[in-house]
Amino acid sequence: MGQDNVVEIAGLTHDYGEVVALRDLTLQVPRGVTGLVGANGAGKTTMLRLILGLLHPTAGGMSVMGHDPQTEPLEVRARLGYMPEGNCLPRDQTAADFVAYTAQLAGIPHREARRRSSETLYLVGLEEERFRFLGDFSTGMQQRVKLAQAIVHDPDLLLLDEPASGLDPAGRTQMLQLIRRLGEFDINVIVSSHVLTDIEDTCSWVVMLDAGNLLRSGPIQGFEQLGTVQVEVVTEAPQVAERLTRRGLKVAVDGHRLVVGPGDQTLERAILEEIAAADAGLVRMIRGSASLEDLFLLPAEEVGL
Amino acid sequence: MTDQVIYDRGYRTYEGERTGPSGARKAVYKDGIRRILGLGRKARDKVYPWLMIAIALAMAAIVIGIHWLIGDLAESLSEGVPSYGELFDLYSWIGLLFIAFAGPWLLIPDRTRGVLSVYFSRPLTVDGYLVAKVGAFATVVGAIYLVPQIVLHIGLGLISDDGFLTYMGDNLDVLWKVPVTTLAFVGMHGALALLLSAVIARPGIASAAFLGVLIPGRFIATQISEASFAGARWTSLLAFDHLPRVIRDALFRDTVTYPAEAAGFGGWSAAAVIGAAVVISAVLVRARYRRLA
Repeated sequence: MGQDNVVEIAGLTHDYGEVVALRDLTLQVPRGVTGLVGANGAGKTTMLRLILGLLHPTAGGMSVMGHDPQTEPLEVRARLGYMPEGNCLPRDQTAADFVAYTAQLAGIPHREARRRSSETLYLVGLEEERFRFLGDFSTGMQQRVKLAQAIVHDPDLLLLDEPASGLDPAGRTQMLQLIRRLGEFDINVIVSSHVLTDIEDTCSWVVMLDAGNLLRSGPIQGFEQLGTVQVEVVTEAPQVAERLTRRGLKVAVDGHRLVVGPGDQTLERAILEEIAAADAGLVRMIRGSASLEDLFLLPAEEVGL
Repeated sequence: MTDQVIYDRGYRTYEGERTGPSGARKAVYKDGIRRILGLGRKARDKVYPWLMIAIALAMAAIVIGIHWLIGDLAESLSEGVPSYGELFDLYSWIGLLFIAFAGPWLLIPDRTRGVLSVYFSRPLTVDGYLVAKVGAFATVVGAIYLVPQIVLHIGLGLISDDGFLTYMGDNLDVLWKVPVTTLAFVGMHGALALLLSAVIARPGIASAAFLGVLIPGRFIATQISEASFAGARWTSLLAFDHLPRVIRDALFRDTVTYPAEAAGFGGWSAAAVIGAAVVISAVLVRARYRRLA
């Protein structure tokens, strides 16, 4: 495994009988905060459970922090933190007791586990509430406790399954801020989400899944440069559009305005050439950044990743 | 204006000892004991287990008091004042009611509240989890049976006319008979309680099912065993609540003739059925949890 990759996957397939959850995936997840995006049922949770060694692949394999989760599941899990999507908190324990208990489950001795429980609950903003019973917590507070139990034992890699699920806008923002902070502490994170804006705001790398297939995997920064270009011309907008379309570019026309792309920085040059050729007269040209949602809907060959 | 500064504590990495799977099992074991006893839980979660423990201890104290009031231990025993074997009869009901609560409470919330997903993301196997849970269950329930017996043993020694040490020397057999009988009760009732708790989602229903299998079940099994068809006597072995008592009778003074005994089955037959129940329960519970993990 390369030192810069926390997970390396080769030819991974997993099925649940007739249903293929993941199909022949090959990818690398680098250090840092990585987003795992896809619609519900895309295979995100299956991939996380494969990384944990809780599921066995039908074909292919993977390496997690240098270990094979199929043959060394306990070694892998000792180095991972996992925040499940669904409920995972006992109602009858205090936050401090539960987080300390999960630290001990990861092998941290009792006294140190209590200390780290307090520190971690402080980090997620629950210092005052740590002695309250979890059954009395709001959804937002429960999500923070779930995050706290995932990081209390200082994992090398953190798996967050839909961490902002069920939160109101303010809670969602706070959760994303917390995840960004984890990145600042050099904790490697894989965040699964079907909300693309959450990934855009949080991650440096993104892995896109669609119905078990890998759509694309790459740095978020690269995606941002693949936006559309908005053009306004004096005349001849339909002719400019036709010429650009002949070049294989996507063009939408609205009066004197055109939206071209998405595409990389070569897009502007092509537009200028065709405006000159059509003698249309340029009024203005503005590049817009692409959202992950735009890119998710594009064929992979158009994005080139 | 003050010179004091608030520092962001940030996140502290951990470079110390990690105990691995054995530490995880130990944590589950300790948490299991705390959960059964309601420790670290709300006050209402403590009421039931500690009430049962108090009643069990009170029974032992009352029995010692009766022996002491009669004054002559040999006379009080010959007059039928309860001793070791009979004490099992007295508080086996306490044990039954305690297990009906402890088994479901120990297993079901982890499963229905989704906590298993956290357990199994740690260096903990399904077998490790179950061994730790069963260990916690056996420790607390075993103590419910053993501690009153220890109190009785010491109490009888103290009031014995022969002196404490002589009494202890004369009753060495108690040191293995009581644990073996305890094992029979905990094994039979525990196997059933944990099996039902592994498949039923609500603790109240699991408790009711446990008591339903044991109490009405023994009457039904007894009635069938007394029928005239061939092989009817074998159904007496399905009166599960009687089986530990048959072993108790084989080891201590025989107080009641249970249907299994009347049908010709003795302590070894009861032990074999209990052993089979424990093995079947262990296999089914393990299979259930391996699917859940």
